[in-house]
This record gives sequence, C-alpha cells and structure tokens, in this order.
Amino acid sequence: MNKIIFLISIIMTQLMADEAHDIIKKLDENFRGRNVYMQVSMKVVSMGHERVMRMQSFSQGNKKSFVKIIYPPKDSGITFLSLDNQMWQYVPKIERVIKIPPSMMLQKWMGSDITNDDMVRQSSIVEDYEPRIIKRAGTVVTIELLPKLGAPVVWGKIITNVDTATYTSNRDIFYDEENKEVRFFIYEKVKKVGKYYIPTYWKVGSSDALDKFTEIVLEEIEYDTGVYDEYFTKNALKRFSK
Amino acid sequence: MFKFALKNILFYRGRSIATFILTFISSVLLILFISMQDGSHNSMLKNSLKIYTGAIEIYHKGYRDIGGNEYLIQDTKSIMEKLAKIDAIEAFSSRYETYGLLSNGEHSAASMVAGVSPNKEMVLSSLHLALKEGKFLDENSGNSIYMGSELAKKLKLHVGDEVAFVGGASDNSFAADIFRVCGIFKTGLFEFDSSVSFLSRSYFDELMYAKNRASYINIKLKNLDDLDRVNSEIVRIINDKNLESLTWKTLMDTMVEAMEVDNIFGYISLSLFLVVIFFVIMIYDFINISSRIKEFGVLRCVGLSKKNIFALLFYEIFILSSLAVVIAAPIATCICYYYSINPIVINGIAEMYRDYGVVSDEIPFSFSIPTILWNLSIIYLLNFLSILYPYFYINSFKPIEATRHV
Repeated sequence: MNKIIFLISIIMTQLMADEAHDIIKKLDENFRGRNVYMQVSMKVVSMGHERVMRMQSFSQGNKKSFVKIIYPPKDSGITFLSLDNQMWQYVPKIERVIKIPPSMMLQKWMGSDITNDDMVRQSSIVEDYEPRIIKRAGTVVTIELLPKLGAPVVWGKIITNVDTATYTSNRDIFYDEENKEVRFFIYEKVKKVGKYYIPTYWKVGSSDALDKFTEIVLEEIEYDTGVYDEYFTKNALKRFSK
Repeated sequence: MFKFALKNILFYRGRSIATFILTFISSVLLILFISMQDGSHNSMLKNSLKIYTGAIEIYHKGYRDIGGNEYLIQDTKSIMEKLAKIDAIEAFSSRYETYGLLSNGEHSAASMVAGVSPNKEMVLSSLHLALKEGKFLDENSGNSIYMGSELAKKLKLHVGDEVAFVGGASDNSFAADIFRVCGIFKTGLFEFDSSVSFLSRSYFDELMYAKNRASYINIKLKNLDDLDRVNSEIVRIINDKNLESLTWKTLMDTMVEAMEVDNIFGYISLSLFLVVIFFVIMIYDFINISSRIKEFGVLRCVGLSKKNIFALLFYEIFILSSLAVVIAAPIATCICYYYSINPIVINGIAEMYRDYGVVSDEIPFSFSIPTILWNLSIIYLLNFLSILYPYFYINSFKPIEATRHV
C-alpha cells in the first residue's frame, strides 16, 4: 500500500512540475511569440513628477532584441541591441556604439523601475528558472520560480499569478537572494492579438517605494511577421536610429 | 607627618629609587603611547578627509539611502549663500555625482562621474595632488575628464584619448558626450581609483541639466575640533527639514568603527601594561612595608592612629610619584610636541607610499595638554591604589603584636 502511495505521489509531483513548465512556456510564448513588434509608451512617476517616453521594440526569442526610442525628441533615435547575451547602445548625439557590460544589465533604465535586462528581455523565465505550482484559485495558478543552478540571474525567487484561461500573468513579485520582496509587476487589460494573449497595461514598482512607479502601455503589437532579421545586427543600431 | 615621610623615603633608598623609576618610565610611556595612538588616528582621518570626503556634507534626505535624481539638492545657490556667513568654514563647494557608462571601443565600464569646481576642489580635497599623469582640471577645461588610474587601465585609456559617456541627466533624459582624458590620478584607494572620474562642473552642468542642482555640498572646516558646533550651526542656518547635514563621523562610519576597534585594542594592551606597573609598585611597597611592621607597631604604641599611618604611607607615595611625574611630564611633553611638528617618517616604505599619491607616510604624535594631564592622573591614581593592600596588611596586626614581629 505504501509503495502505491509513494508511486502516486511521485507521479503527481512529476505531473505538477510538467504542468508548471507547460504554463510558464505558454506564458512566455504569449509574451514573445516567434517574433514580436511593439510600440510602447512608458510613464515614469516619481515624487509627483512624470516623464513619458515612447519606443519601438523588435524581438525574436530571448536572444535577439532591438529597441529604438522615438519620444521625447531629445532622446529620439537612441537604439539598443541585444544579441546572444551581449548588449549595445547607439547614441546619435555622439555617433558611438557603446557596449553595455553585463554588470550593468540590472541597472535601472533612465530613472524608471525597469532594468536594462527588462528592456531587452535577455533572461528567460523558461530557461533560467525552475517553476513549481504553489496555489490554485479558479483559473489563476500561482507559480514559484526558483533560479536554476548556475543560471545568470539575480532574483532569488519570482512568484507569478498566471491566468490559465489566457496564459497571461496578472502579477509578478520579485524577491532578492535573501527572500525579501524587491519589486512587482502588475498586468491588466489583456488583449488577443492573433493567436496570442497579452496584457497591454503594466505597472512596475519597487516594493519599498510605492509613490514611485512606472506605467507601460503597449500601444501597438504585431506577432510573427517574420521580417525583423535586419534589426539584429550591430549595423542596425546606427541605420535604424534615423 | 610629611617630614616623617620624607625621612622614610631617604632612609629606604632602594625602595624609593625603584618606585621613582617605575613611575617615571610608566608616565613617559603612557603619555607617548596615547599621543602616538591619537596622532595616527588623526592623521588617518585627515588623509581620508583630504582625498575626497568632507568634514561636513549637506544632502537632500533620501539621497544617500535611496539615491536618484529626485533626491538632488535643488537650490544649491541659496544654501551656499548661507554657508558663506559661517566663519568657522574654510571652504565649501557643491558636487554633482552620477553613475554612467564610459566606453572606449569594445571596452566599457560603469563609473561614478562627478562634476566638481576645480579651483575650490584644490582647497577642499587632495585630488589634484594624486595626479600621476597629465594635468588636473581647471574651470575652463571643457570636456576634459580626470580619471582614476585603475579605471583608465580597464578602459585602455591614456592622457589625450577620447572616451564616450552615456548616463542619465538630472531630468532622467539621456546624457551622452565624448570626453578627452586630461589627467590620471592614483590615490591608492583601489575602489576609488577604479570607478571614479571628474569633470569641471561648468561643462558637466550643461550636459546633465544640473545648474543649481547638486548631489551634496562639501564643507571643509578651519578647525576640525569645531565639527559638532559648526554642524549644529549649519542645521540652524539652513533650516530646511528636507536637508540633512552630516559629519565625517556618519559619512565615514566604517573608518570610525575601525578607529574605535583600534582604540579598544590599544587600551587593552595599555591596561595590561599599567596592571603590570601597578603590581610591581604594589609588590615593592608590600615588601618594603612588610619589613617595617615592627616600626609601624612601635609608632602605633607611641600614639599614632591608623589614620596617621595611612597619611604617612600616602605622603611617601605622593612625594615619590610627584617627583617622578614632575620630571617625566616635561620630557614626555617635549617629545610629543617635537613629533607632532616633525612626524616620524617610515623611511623604508616612504617611496612606496609616495607612489600612492596622497597617502601619507608620516606618523605624527598628537599634542594635547588635557590628554597629558589625564594620563598623569592615571599614574597618580595607580600609585595611590598600590598602597591600599600593604596598608590593610599592616592594620591586620595589633600594635603589640606588630612590635614583636620579626
């Protein structure tokens, strides 16, 4: 009898792990597609001040990503490229391509609550984290993501609430290595674009400074158009800056 | 009783000379040890303050803990006008610090880039003295950058080379420019040399939209001993609850802790030394007094009270201690004074130290009369304590019993 219970518990654990993997994979597919183009508006709110930026983003999987700032005019034309875990930035004013060292990937981006890593979505929740279902409430599944051994990530843990009806997250909480809550992402206004679901309103903030947050609105989204290869070269940084 | 004590001192010459020598040596050593310990701490502090940190710095609350452009000082000019009215301040200047990316071809490194007023900085800090190559900034040095030696090495840069900078301006927009390396410095502080670079504020302010804004205001005092008084005055004069004025004790809390730990270890070794001195004097007194039990018995029999006996012993130790201290104090004071003006230089490592720019190779003594006086008080106290046990020992004998003691 004990052997049967033991066998069942092993099978259940395996099934739940597979299910967690499956959910995270579908969630990631919704975010990335095979390739995706987005026009994003970002509002940084801090101590009563607001600053708005607009940018275009092209990405293919988690290895290739290109971002171009289109607003405000002063920053327009600044481009970012991420290729195979390396990142560069082109600044038209000085006409230089600058390599961003890995140590700066988690630096906050232009006073906002997102990091360079978030900008180019270099780290992958599918490849770098081990998921485990910790709670179910209707269609919403709470999954704990722990970094895999040797994975190049800094978060000690991520808790994500995934709606399995659309495979989109409504809230991610990021913890540091000491298990202290550091920041949160809130996702709202889920839209269906082609065969993918994606939240079009994101709010990002630090857990210890609630008066400071960043709002991101996805204004345009196009999936799987398959014409972005030209963006993923270093030459593109300068060429598409104009 | 005083004359009687004087006669005893002359009669028991061996004991008197031993007590005198021990008191003399311990007084001189104690004064020199404390003077050297205080002097080296002061020197350590002055060197650190000279390099970059100010004696007092004024910040917007939250800047040090959270950071970011929201916590910059917004109206630097009005604060500086108020500071100009405080006499005890020798110099002050605002600094604008930001973290950005410096890049030379494929080599990139994060750096703290600070906008400073070069002329004022020459009074406030020793950055200009740490120059290894090229030249220091001046008010019109434009896009010239003065860079730490380790940072320059990391970016493969030399004097005259160009380096690209990308960072966030004070309004959180992108700031980017090409700087030209005008000088390379080496302070010997590895972290500082590998991550910090400087530009003239007049140029940097334009780039960072930082006019009249500052990360903090750095203040140098005429006399570091006035630190707490001047800091209170600054807080009162500025009168802004969003600002905080911090002294080096807070700014350099790690160094303060290190100095306190060093002091504790210093005092532990010193107390061991004093305990040894105390027991040696006490044992000498005890042996001497033990050999005089018969004498004390006779004195008690002829009418001297216990108080008189205590007074006799007290006068004896008082005369001997005073004699030793009177000779030791001027000698030790002169030595302290001499080495406070002419610090000891460790010749063997002087060249190596000079290679580290502003780090001093001198160990100056501290010259402080109040410190010397409390050191002498300790010696007096120990000597007086050393007669207590022998006194209680002779009192344990009845007068008649004492007269028969052999």
